Amino acid sequence: MSSFHRAERRKSVAERSPSVSYAPDTIPQLAGLEKPQEHNLHIGECDVLVMGTGLVESVVAAALSWQGVDVLHIDNKTCYGDSNSTLTIEQVKSWCQEVNSGRIQHFEDAQVYVTGDIYHPQSKFKSKDYGIDLTPKIMFAQSDLLSLLVKSRVYKYLEFQSLSNFHIFENDSFSTKFANASSKEEIFTDQSLSLLTKRYLMKFLKFVLEDNNDEDKRKTLADNAKVTIYDFLSQKFNLETSQINELIYSIGLCIKPTTKTPEAIARIRRFLVSFNVYGNFPVLVSKYGGPGEISQGFCRSAAVAGTTYKLNTALTDYDPQLKLAKFSDKSSIKINEKLIVAPTQIPKFLQSSYNEITESLKKVNISRLVVIVKKDCKEWMADQECSAMVVFPPESLNSQNKTSIQALIQNGGTGVCPPGQSIWYLTSFEQDSIKAKQDLQCAFEKMESSILRESSDLDDVLDENLSVNKSGTSLVVNSVKLGKSLQNFVPKETLEIICKFGFTQKTYVLNDLSNVINPTDENNVSLRKTKDCEDIIFTNMPSSEISYDGIVKECKTIYQAITGSDDDFFDVDFEDDDEFNPAGFHQQPTTSSSNLKTSDNDMAIASSDDEDNAHPFGADEMEL
Amino acid sequence: MSDNNRFAQFKLVLLGESAVGKSSIVHRFVKNTFDNMRESTIGAAFLTQTITLPESNTTIKFEIWDTAGQERYKSLAPMYYRNANAALCVYDITSRSSFNKAQDWIKELKKQAPEGIVICLVGNKLDLENEREVDQQEVIEYVQELNQENDNVILSECSAKNGEGVLDIFNKIGRALPVEEVINGANNRSRQVGSRKPGVNLSRQQNQPQSSNCC
Repeated sequence: MSSFHRAERRKSVAERSPSVSYAPDTIPQLAGLEKPQEHNLHIGECDVLVMGTGLVESVVAAALSWQGVDVLHIDNKTCYGDSNSTLTIEQVKSWCQEVNSGRIQHFEDAQVYVTGDIYHPQSKFKSKDYGIDLTPKIMFAQSDLLSLLVKSRVYKYLEFQSLSNFHIFENDSFSTKFANASSKEEIFTDQSLSLLTKRYLMKFLKFVLEDNNDEDKRKTLADNAKVTIYDFLSQKFNLETSQINELIYSIGLCIKPTTKTPEAIARIRRFLVSFNVYGNFPVLVSKYGGPGEISQGFCRSAAVAGTTYKLNTALTDYDPQLKLAKFSDKSSIKINEKLIVAPTQIPKFLQSSYNEITESLKKVNISRLVVIVKKDCKEWMADQECSAMVVFPPESLNSQNKTSIQALIQNGGTGVCPPGQSIWYLTSFEQDSIKAKQDLQCAFEKMESSILRESSDLDDVLDENLSVNKSGTSLVVNSVKLGKSLQNFVPKETLEIICKFGFTQKTYVLNDLSNVINPTDENNVSLRKTKDCEDIIFTNMPSSEISYDGIVKECKTIYQAITGSDDDFFDVDFEDDDEFNPAGFHQQPTTSSSNLKTSDNDMAIASSDDEDNAHPFGADEMEL
Repeated sequence: MSDNNRFAQFKLVLLGESAVGKSSIVHRFVKNTFDNMRESTIGAAFLTQTITLPESNTTIKFEIWDTAGQERYKSLAPMYYRNANAALCVYDITSRSSFNKAQDWIKELKKQAPEGIVICLVGNKLDLENEREVDQQEVIEYVQELNQENDNVILSECSAKNGEGVLDIFNKIGRALPVEEVINGANNRSRQVGSRKPGVNLSRQQNQPQSSNCC
């Protein structure tokens, strides 16, 4: 043990104001931690203590670690991911219990239903066949987190798949006008559109893709800074509601009609510039889970760089004078620099500081409904893909939803559930949580009836209606495919639900991410100063944003708060010696030893396109 | 490429108590070096090495995942075990307790790892034979017992320091892996073989993005 252990300690904050003692015993023991290799932390000191293995915390731990900072990364839960976890069904159940007993701050009103099947010993499916994200996310092909994944080499731990289909619900049916395009231009060349509309759309496309530094574009955006995107599109580009909705809610993934023009244009732009970066799709999803999986990847990267990991461990006490931290495993460690604390990991003695910091900040509610159904929903997905997005614009549901509902659908092909099933992640941004629940349920029912309609194949129809003759067959097929015209067709089949799970999450990150993108000590939790302890930096709860936008910026803000600058954030040159293949197998023989790529910084990544694309994964990146 | 040479890729994970020499074995295997002073270093991702099984004219590529120290406080992520085809469960023949820990890791593997994973129980530090604490016969009996329950455990001893037995471990594992199944694509559903990245390859952008501001 460290020498600090023996030192005479002054009374800590917690000891000076004894309230209810923090009880780590309440943390459930899960498989894998019953027989710890080491019970107590055997390190004397570290530079930075990171609490919580959520995505932002994990990226920060890795970034610090690669710069040579000695990091100790703990989590009070038994699994990785914290508020970004990817959970099994069993873990979801215990998580709900924890939430409802008030033990996980910022989450509330958790409800879960699980069919008994899963527990049947003979059941083909087990709890661990499922990976349910607490914060489902999609990744734009042109985005800062994706660049970071490549630069940090963390992508090598992960697998990514494309997502092309963005459906929008309008007039009581789903449409995918702009989906399945193979180029940016094609997104706007739906045959059903009039020539005039197409021309307006192309004009708009040109405007969006114009360089952001373009004088005219800047001026237009500045002039329309207060104008809603709806008005902007209808007045300046003469677009009709149907196209506007698609642009705002499906392509832009905005959540309300009052979204201001500059924000909405930036959102629409990120979709368009992401097209054809890795293929004719704008978005990627990581296999086996979203942010929970990526967090694990960064934690592994951090571990490689020297970070010490210990789950199921909480901070119980911190003495700011001695800089001594005490943990639930009874160990004590000196923290040389800072403590980064996720909002779900706040020890009792820090609660009042956190409350003070967040007092004046606007709280945002995010309500989610997750449903696992026994259908692969491939009708909604593009060929060869396993994920799709469905968006319900405001006012499109019977519940008169004021904000949009975004739904991410992933089937067994993404590894988050068994084959033949899919997970539907529905998110509402409605602030009234009762109303949010109604909206979510309403959207779910629309999806349910839609998938039943679309997936009822001919055989089922024939089986049930033996009177249908052969000549009628093709007609039925066509109308089934059209979906809309079969609105009143009620299939006998019902949707089998394996698990239904809902909760509300709170965050101080605003929906437009403005206090993440331009953080100040007024608006952002991480930059607010704690009175009694300068060493503490709180992180934010996950934002409501369906993409990973804002994550890297949050990480850099925290990184900068610790190191003073984000200039060297992940400024690491990795030699890809792990891809060295002495046998030269799978490669052109000439590339096996002489094709030197000394460093893999930004430049190398950008220039990787110069290489023959037919090369297998990493074949041109050689050891020195 | 070469038609008469067959290729299969497998993920291999390392397990075992800290300081039993997990990384050293891999470094001996991959680079044929041994560094006495090394603590626990690995590349940014994982190491790869290929072997050839002459009898079946098959090349096997191992993608080797080190624990990166995350095993120390039992904090290995699910990602680590995912789709692992083989596990090297290492103990130190001069440490009784490390052998006990290895047995725990085998139990852990049965819980966390995919079914059918090939487990190789490896006694390292064979160069310190005179300090041996773990009797080979006992290990044999333990493994026999495991294999009665239909487990797929093989055993081996080696010295990462002088290289003795290291290649043998990987050859044994290679022969125990379901190579035929993988080559025939029977197992293509879960990621195997060359279908390792069936999805989007992030190292290959289609067109040059605007960010190509290289100097």
